[in-house]
Order: sequence, then structure tokens, then C-alpha cells
Amino acid sequence: MSKVMQEIEKLALGRTAELKKAKKEGRKVIQYTGSFIPEEYIRAAGAEPYLICRGGEPEPPEVILNDMLRFLNPLARSMAGFYKLGTDPVTPISDLIIAHQSECHIGRITELLEIWKLPIAKVGVPVDWNRDFAFEYYVGNLKEMVEKIEEVTGNKVDDTKVREYMELSNQVFAGLRKIDSLRKKENPPIGAAEFIKLNHYSYMVEPKMMAAKLDELYEELKDAPGKFDKDAPRLLLFGHAVAIGDYIVPRVFEESGAIIVADFLDEGIRPYKWDIDLSGDDPLRAFAKSRYLEKPPVNIFQPAWKTRFEYIKDLIKEYNIDGVISYQLVFDEIYNMEYTCLSKWLGDIGVPLIKIETSYEYTREAMAPLVTRIESFIDAVKEGK
Amino acid sequence: MNRDVYKELLEFCEFTEEDLAKELDNFKYACNQSGLTEDDVLFALNDWIPKNWNVQYKGVRKMIGALMREFIDVCMTPVLKSEGKKIIYGILPAYSNLYYALKYAAGPDVYLSFPDILLTSVLNGYFHKSAPYLNQAEDDGITPGCRHCPLNKMRFSAYTSGLIAAPDVIWSWGFNCDEGPKTDELIQSLTGEEWNYVISRAPHDSLYGVDDDTIVRRVEFVAEELRTGFNTICDITDIKVLPEHFKEASDNLNRLSFKVAQVTQMVCKADPPIMTGNVLTSIASFQLFPYNRGLSFMEDAVDTMIVELRQMMKEGKGILPKGSPKVGCFFASAPVPWYDRMFLENGVCTTYSLTTGIVKKQLSQEFISDDPFMIMAETWLRRGTIQNMGSDVESMVEKVLANSPDGVIMGFFDFDRWLGAHQKLAAKMVEERTGIPHFYMESDFYDDRDYSQEAMRTRIESISQVLKMRKDIEE
Repeated sequence: MSKVMQEIEKLALGRTAELKKAKKEGRKVIQYTGSFIPEEYIRAAGAEPYLICRGGEPEPPEVILNDMLRFLNPLARSMAGFYKLGTDPVTPISDLIIAHQSECHIGRITELLEIWKLPIAKVGVPVDWNRDFAFEYYVGNLKEMVEKIEEVTGNKVDDTKVREYMELSNQVFAGLRKIDSLRKKENPPIGAAEFIKLNHYSYMVEPKMMAAKLDELYEELKDAPGKFDKDAPRLLLFGHAVAIGDYIVPRVFEESGAIIVADFLDEGIRPYKWDIDLSGDDPLRAFAKSRYLEKPPVNIFQPAWKTRFEYIKDLIKEYNIDGVISYQLVFDEIYNMEYTCLSKWLGDIGVPLIKIETSYEYTREAMAPLVTRIESFIDAVKEGK
Repeated sequence: MNRDVYKELLEFCEFTEEDLAKELDNFKYACNQSGLTEDDVLFALNDWIPKNWNVQYKGVRKMIGALMREFIDVCMTPVLKSEGKKIIYGILPAYSNLYYALKYAAGPDVYLSFPDILLTSVLNGYFHKSAPYLNQAEDDGITPGCRHCPLNKMRFSAYTSGLIAAPDVIWSWGFNCDEGPKTDELIQSLTGEEWNYVISRAPHDSLYGVDDDTIVRRVEFVAEELRTGFNTICDITDIKVLPEHFKEASDNLNRLSFKVAQVTQMVCKADPPIMTGNVLTSIASFQLFPYNRGLSFMEDAVDTMIVELRQMMKEGKGILPKGSPKVGCFFASAPVPWYDRMFLENGVCTTYSLTTGIVKKQLSQEFISDDPFMIMAETWLRRGTIQNMGSDVESMVEKVLANSPDGVIMGFFDFDRWLGAHQKLAAKMVEERTGIPHFYMESDFYDDRDYSQEAMRTRIESISQVLKMRKDIEE
């Protein structure tokens, strides 16, 4: 791992201690889920934001099964599971948890947190994104969320500060974009496991510092030699989310002779290709527009899948992709349905596809067949190349 | 086979000679189209229906007949389409008044129903034969390991197999689950634009225990979803729905709902028990999905049932001995009717369903606005199953206390990430509030391939034993 990457990692891993310190000093800690909540408003209100997107461990999804249906996806179940296990250091000190509500998994798990008397605010995200009144409803929900943040922090949110933080977010996005552009090289100096971690760290490191570190990292990587085998198959990672802590599958792909050069994930990753346009006078609407209307629709939006596939085709061209990984959380039924379409459509254009389904169970027994499948897929893609 | 089993089955369902003259050929066509053989029909007639339904009642046989007529029609949709008739579908759960209003406005030139629930109810409920469609959908990409909804599998494969026609439009409500409307996107994505759909959806964003119908912005949003959906359907189909059509729909639904409530009350109060919950689900199915033929056949069945049940109660007769425990259900399954039979075999009678029951609030005529779509939205958001878990549990408590069962069974919706996700916890919470034992039984309301009779027998036996022991102790 590069020196700068190590520095970024160190900063990110110190986030929990930072939050505890902030709490002691009287600042509020506000957690949030998904990509539809503007963390910039939390910062502008003087509170400390923290993204809930932890996963990759088998116990947390299991521990809530006495209370909840077993067919919820493991990322949603982990959201409550870590807390129930007592291994979530942030939720117990949180003054507010803002949960976006766009689908049932997160909806029911949020209710479980409410039953446990955790302080919840909900932001409804209507899925029919191509209707004006749905967009306005989302904007209205964001406004109510801002009021709630003000109530919890006791601070009025200042739009000038919001803009400053949004500018910083755009700088972080720009840094990630530059590093992402290096993945287009024939032999990139950075793989997906590291790039996704970098995204995760960007949620934990103070944005000004993160933007600066990303620039440093880019300078370090831009002329660095490639890290992968010559002619390694170039893959696109597609799916719901690679959770914070769930790095095994991308790593196995890259250790088995492939390079994941592009990603299309709905959560747990910065929407780094879509800056917030701050030329207007309403930063809240600018944020909403960026997340709700400008980036490709998330899987649950409707209609979505054809538009998403067009975007995948663009990525295939832009990054010279040889194959696609559909990384699926087990029991994530809507992603599973999209996979069926993707399978047909990619088949029609002759692009190989593999579905990897995870329950966050990575025992030795589970890993052996997984590795074999991945290796076989990579061999097949190589042959096709 | 020398017997005409098709005719025998319809006669068993109280079809008259005049009915048979009109319907028999079409019924044979429907069976043939849907893959039902003579043997399947014979099995239904001699084994499945008598074993699993309270067919000693003429009203129950007429009820099956009413749904058989709907089955005929849905299987005829490719023919209707070729004749130029318009076809409108929908999915559960939806506000059936709007669909009935559309039907009353359009008349016989439009076919209108919800094919997946209808086919599942008839094919599995009366023939135990939905598996080929469900298997086909799984082979085609709605994979079994992910626990998808059987109704969506049925809709998918009923269309891809050619059993039902592509609709002029399907109006998909997604105020509960995500998968229903997304299935229409799936069908369209895989088969083409001919599968034309319109969605109405809303996120579950009310806080725990805050009644959805009291949040004005939420009511306004749902009203706009309904208005947009309804107007789009009218535009696509060129149907003009007038106030008198809404009134006709409302009057007819209210009248039959009142009669169904009478039957439900009798079933809950009767000792000895007189009827099982799967019948109550079936006679209330007109509220869940619109009948293409209108309500008259089901109303006749319910009228007949009321007379028969009164007579049973008067004579002190029942389907189990006096004092037998009665249980309520989250939703008593009609598509898998043997759950009820298995409880009966263990001395317990299933009765009402929490999902079809109503709470006092739903009867209120006070509304935020007099705009018809606002009223519909507010009414819709008063339903427990649509609301957040806190409000849903409150409505469950009210319904359980109103009917005083000896126990309540939950858990028939393991495939549903909304309706099924919270039932384990709801069972504990409602039990704590009411003092009435609640049992979580993981199972499937529509599909018994994964939860076979053999697999469920032990669970049902143990629940029944507990209920009988409690009853004995109480007495």
C-alpha cells in the first residue's frame, strides 16, 4: 500500500475516536444511510456526520433473526446487528440517525432501531423519479430533515456553510475522479479493493484533508507502474454496495488475475462523477437534483434498468471492459431481478457476466468454491479475450 | 374418460343448466389453456376441493363457482384481445373501488382484473396446480433462492406462457412491497413494450407509531400518486369515469362488504365453529381484486352462506365440537387451503384475518380535504398493513381484541419484505398487549412447494396442542 494511502487509512481509522472526542466536547453526532442524505447539512450545523454502511461480517445479520424476517439483505440486517452485538461504537453515541427510505429492507430495519428507542429521522425517497411531484416530495423531506438537524444541534444551518461543504464534496469527487481515470490505463496503478476503500475513507476523513490527500495520492499514482498482470481481464463491478469492511470478493478477483477497473454501485461509494451544481441559489435543490435526477437511477427507482444498462454499456466502452461482476447481497430481491435483465442484455452483446452472492459468510468452507468460481470465470474471460 | 368431469365440477359449483350452456365450453378452453387436464379436474372434484373447503355449504360451492367464472375470463384474455377488447390489469394490494369504477364506466368491452392473484387462488386453491407456472418463472430468471413473491412469478409466467394477454395497461400499486411494480419492469424489460405499465408508489417514511393518514404531506403525495395513476389509465384506455361510476362501485362494494362482515362475525362467534378462515378470505377477495364479472355471483354465494350459517348456529351444529379453539390469522390462506384443514384435523378452527378486518378509524368520515383523491389516499393510509409497524401493531391489537380468538397465527408472508418482515416481532408485541397467544409460523400464503404439508404438520400440531391445553385450563 502506498504511503499516502496509509496516511488516509490512518486518518479514517481514527474517526471513531474523533467522534467520541467530539461528543465529549458537546458536539452532536449524526449518522445517516445511503446516498440521498446530504452530509454537508450535518457538518454545516456543527455536527459530526457518519455513514452507516458497515458489513462483511456474518454475525450481525444473524443476530436480529429473532425479531426480523431472515430474507432481508445482510447489509440492512447488519445496520441493526452490529448495534445489537455491541460492536457498533457510533450508534450508542449518536444524537440522530437519518435513514433514507426508498425500499423495504432499510424501512423495516429502521423500524427495529425505532423500537430500540434510537433517535431516528426518515427521508422518504420516492422511486418514481421521473415525476415532478415525486422530486418535490423528496425535496420537502430533505427540508424537514434540515429542520430536524437544527432541532437536534440547536444550530441554524447556514447556507453559506452548506455551500462551502458542498464545494469540498465536489473537490473530493474531483480527486476520486482523477484517481478513477487512472483505472482506464492498460495496467492501472490501483485496483478496486483499494479504490472502494478510498471511497469509504472519504466518508470518515475531514473533507478538506481528504481532498488534499486525494491530490497527493493522484500525484503518487499517476506515473506509477501498473499493479496487475499484463493482459489481465478488465472487469466492471456492479451491484447494491460493497460495504465498509466487505473487501474480500474484490480482493479475490484481483488476486486471481483480473483487474476491476470500473464500478457501478448504488451505496457505500461516492457519486464522484456527479458534482453538485452550485451555480443556483438553492443548495438543497442542487443536491437533490444531483442525486435524484442527474446520476443514473438506483436499482429501486422505476423505471431504471434500461437506463442503467445504457450506462453500463458506456462504462464498458470507456473502461474497455471484458466482463461484468454482479455483486449481490443475498435476498436482495430487486437486484436479483435486475440481474436477470442484465444477464440477457449482456448476453446479447457478448459480454461475460458472473453473479457473486454474499451473505457475508466467508469461512474457509465458503471461500473454496467461491475462489474456484472466480478463477474459472477469469479463465473464461481470458480465453474469450 | 366417459364422464364429463368439467361439467361435473361446474355443476358441483352450482352452475345451472343455463349457466352450463353458456360457460362449459369456455371452461374447458380455460382448463386446456392453463394446462389443467381431465385428471386435474377430477382430482379437484373428488379430492382437493372436498377435502380442503367447507363444501357442505351451498354458499361455499357457489363461491368457488364465482371464482371459476373469473378464471374462465382471465384465460380468455388472448381471445378478447384478438377481438379488440381492452384489457386492464392490476396487482395487490390496491384500492379496488377505482378499478370497479373503471369497469362500471367501460362495461363489457373491457376486461379488468388482477390475473396473478386470481390464477393463484383458483389454480392452487382448487386444483393444487400453480407449481408449473411458478417453476417456469424460476427457470426464466425469478430465481427460487431469493424468495420472490409467488404472485409475481405467476404474473410473469402466465404472460410468457401465453395464458394471459398483454394488457393495454397494468396499473401496479406499490404502496407495500417493492417487488410487485418492479416485476412489471422485469416483464417489460424481457418481453418488450407491449407489457405497458403505470405505477403508483410511496416510500414508507412515517415514524414509528405516527399514523400515516395524519401526515398531510404524505396524504397529499399518495393522493397525487393515485390521481396521476388513475388519469393515466383513463387516458390510455380512453375510459371516462363519471361520478355515478364511483358511486356504483362504492355502493356495491359497501353492500357486499357489510354482508361479508356479517359472515365473519358469525364465524368468530359461533360455538361450535362453523366455517374456516380460507372461506372468509375467499368471500372477501372482491375487496382485494376486482371481478371482471362484477359482484353478483359472489353476492349470491354470500347470501346463501348467511342463511346456511344461521341455520347451523340455530341447530347448534358445527365443523368441530363445541368448545374447540378458534384462531385468527394474519391472513388465512385461500391459495393454500390445506393449512386450515390441517388445523381442523388437529381440533382447531381458523377464522378471521387481520388483513381483511377493519378498525374504527377506517369507518370515520372525517377527512383532511374533500378532494376525492385526498379522501381515497387518507382512507388508504388508515390501513394497518400500509402503515408503519407501530401503527400496524395498534390496529392489530384492536382487531384481535374485537374478535377474541383463542390464538393468532402469523407468518404466512415470508417472501414479502414489507408485510412479512415484521411479523415475528408484531406477534410478540400484540401478544403482550392482548394476552392472547400469538404464534409465528414461517410459511407462504400462495405457494406450498417449499412448505409442504409434511413439513408444516409438526408446527401446526404443536400450536394446536398448546391452544387446546390453554382452552382446557381456562375451562
